[in-house]
Amino acid sequence: MARGGGGGCCPSMDLMRSEAMQLVQVIIPAESAHLTVSYLGDLGLIQFKDLNAEKSPFQRTYAAQIKRCSEMARKLRFLKEQMSKAEISTSPTQLNETHLEFDDLEIKLGELEAELTEVNANNEKLQRTYNELLEYNTVLQKAGEFFYSAQRSAAAQQRDIEANQSGQTSLESPLLEQEMSMDPSKQVKLGSLSGLVPKEKAMAFERILFRATRGNIFLRQEPIDELVTDPVSGEKVAKNAFVIFYSGERAKAKILKICDAFNANRYPFPEDVTKQLHAVQEVSGRISELKATIDMGLAHRDSILKSIASDFEQWNHLAKREKAIYHTLNMLSVDVTKKCLVAEGWSPVFASVQIQDALQRATVNSKSQVGSIFQVLNTKESPPTYFQTNKFTLAFQEIVDAYGVAKYQEANPGVFTIVTFPFLFAVMFGDWGHGICLLLATLYLIIREKKLASQKLGDIMEMMFGGRYVIFMMALFSIYTGLIYNEFFSVPFELFGKSAYACRDPSCRDATTEGLVKVRGTYPFGVDPVWHGSRSELPFLNSLKMKMSILLGVAQMNLGILMSYFNAKFFRNSLNVWYQFIPQLIFLNSLFGYLSLLIIIKWCTGSKADLYHVMIYMFLSPTDELGENQLFSGQKTVQLVLLLLALVSVPWMLIPKPILLKKQHEQRHQGHQYAMLQDTDESVGAELGEHHDESHDHEEFEFSEVFVHQLIHTIEFVLGAVSNTASYLRLWALSLAHSELSTVFYDKVLLLAWGMNSVFFLIIGIIVFVFATIGVLLVMETLSAFLHALRLHWVEFQNKFYEGDGYKFAPFSFTLIREEED
Amino acid sequence: MGFWVTTVIFLLAGVVASLFTLLCCNRGPSTNLFHLTLVTTAVICCWMMYAIVYLAQMKPLINPIRSGE
Repeated sequence: MARGGGGGCCPSMDLMRSEAMQLVQVIIPAESAHLTVSYLGDLGLIQFKDLNAEKSPFQRTYAAQIKRCSEMARKLRFLKEQMSKAEISTSPTQLNETHLEFDDLEIKLGELEAELTEVNANNEKLQRTYNELLEYNTVLQKAGEFFYSAQRSAAAQQRDIEANQSGQTSLESPLLEQEMSMDPSKQVKLGSLSGLVPKEKAMAFERILFRATRGNIFLRQEPIDELVTDPVSGEKVAKNAFVIFYSGERAKAKILKICDAFNANRYPFPEDVTKQLHAVQEVSGRISELKATIDMGLAHRDSILKSIASDFEQWNHLAKREKAIYHTLNMLSVDVTKKCLVAEGWSPVFASVQIQDALQRATVNSKSQVGSIFQVLNTKESPPTYFQTNKFTLAFQEIVDAYGVAKYQEANPGVFTIVTFPFLFAVMFGDWGHGICLLLATLYLIIREKKLASQKLGDIMEMMFGGRYVIFMMALFSIYTGLIYNEFFSVPFELFGKSAYACRDPSCRDATTEGLVKVRGTYPFGVDPVWHGSRSELPFLNSLKMKMSILLGVAQMNLGILMSYFNAKFFRNSLNVWYQFIPQLIFLNSLFGYLSLLIIIKWCTGSKADLYHVMIYMFLSPTDELGENQLFSGQKTVQLVLLLLALVSVPWMLIPKPILLKKQHEQRHQGHQYAMLQDTDESVGAELGEHHDESHDHEEFEFSEVFVHQLIHTIEFVLGAVSNTASYLRLWALSLAHSELSTVFYDKVLLLAWGMNSVFFLIIGIIVFVFATIGVLLVMETLSAFLHALRLHWVEFQNKFYEGDGYKFAPFSFTLIREEED
Repeated sequence: MGFWVTTVIFLLAGVVASLFTLLCCNRGPSTNLFHLTLVTTAVICCWMMYAIVYLAQMKPLINPIRSGE
């Protein structure tokens, strides 16, 4: 598999190296180009290079088609909008392979859009008329009432007047008015206007009318109980019905203008009673007629939309697909004769057969007379990084990628991250009760993953679902470390035998002062339960966890340095083995490897030596006698040797590598002058339309730059060895915090509530305990332990070997395009 | 159960798990090596954790003192 960088040092391993890639060139006859690209998109294993990068989108060959696709997408969006307005949902994607042609679809979409727009316009017009009629109807009712009451009062007045005339005794009756009403020749013909005005404008309307006509009108308004749909805006508004009586044409003109200004819709009101009745009948008749028409129109529209909805997803998919194809086609360069297109791109080496097969099929199916030509190009460019992951490894690989995408074929920390990440998490989250809770939650996600994968989840849920296998591993390891720490919601159990400690004498008098003594062999697995709740628990656990952090940290850092060896071996870079890997290994282990050794020796021998003192005086005065801090004979000599080794390894890392690099470069440069023949080969390739940067080849060698780089690297490593080891102490801190917090919740909430001897308090206590456990320990602590484990991997582990300056393989694939949409 | 017995148990568990992945998910040498690496790493991690805790309790420098009432 490993072909690109060299390699072959060790057997190949999945996920350890990214797939071997090759730059391929495909020459496709123009007539089969579309089908070929479509098949390659189905395959999804080739990343096309943009060969027209200097051209703007409008200058490209298939700009017109892209425009058509965008237009189709717009139409589809319009249809979607219409459907959501009509509350019709699209049927989920069931891609029945009834092959629909692109052009047919375009025509069909155009027709549908036109039809829908027309139906909508008609409907709108009808709706408006309908609303007007409804308003007219209310006006007729209200105004009818006015007229009726007005008529009655007029008749009553008439009777009054007649009575007055016959009697002529009433002193109160105004003389002038009587005269006026008596004179039929002077009677003016009164005009009337009726209509509706929005309620909030009614007062202003009345006032303006009164002022404009100097009071020479009679206005009656009455609020309508229900909201009225305004024909123009289509909104529901509260309105007043009004009737205006006026005299004279000038007044009428003024009133009309005012009505317009106030958006008051006017409706003709026949004064004659029979005509009124007739109008009422006519209006109600037309209303029911219109209602039926509108309903039919809506039903028609719904049926159109429903038929669209069944096919919508398919069309949408097709349109997107076509757009993607034309985008890709635009990246190919067109031959001078315009008869063929030249594609270049990266593809994994293993995919060559599949790609050739797809090309073959495309040639046959498009009935092209000439086949496509597939060839592998030589290049010095760095290929993209492509890891074949499955649903389990994907999330772990993403953890690594979040820091940086691996350089092409460099050793992938993801391999070890799968185990060490959940493990370090669990060291900080050791409690098998909490582990089981976490396991149950993630098992739910895993068991229902098929169902959940098709659903749309919330942001946080989506993240948890994506990392379900990470959380699964984290839960498994935290159950294990929980058993080691002997904590189940902070409660210890004697699962693996009896405690190793007992009282000194049967009376157990000094158990609280002098302490217990060890009477049996060490507790076989994990922390002895006797420590829990004892006064010496914290000193013991602190010393244990602190030392454990150092041991685990040194082990992981050594693994990281070992990975750099694999990298050097793989890329056949013996310089890195001899002048980087070996001195780094020596430096780290002569200081912190030695510390780890001391820790273990101290545990095994039970010595009371002070390790801080030993380590500090190893530097300050290495020749001094150790005295009581001596752990083994000859320790002073060993320390002196180690110190010397550490001191030697620093210049070893710093100086030889830049000098040797310079030498290598000079050698290569000399050899180059005699090897000009190779270049002619490449110039042929360049004629075929390749534009490879050959600048990498003749790179200037700047000694000072290389030296400074190496200096920085060395300083970083030397200082990093100290600070990274210290950084692993976060394992201790976090695990201590976790166990202390859960003890507090258990003791101060659950046991306290239990001690109250009351069911009520017990229930409250349990509720508080459950919420505190879930909220603080299971959610917040998980998050913080996760972040710290993440940092330990990104910084402390990966900076020993990982460059992470590659770029991801982004193949042209329809499945990826569809996933991105979702 | 002493330290070495448990260590042998860990070793056996590792061997069994490796054989199990080899027999159940045999998908070519490179995948098998990958699985083997995972199992080995996991067993080593777990064993380290166990060994550290066991060794730390072997020759105690401090004794548990009951918190007195």
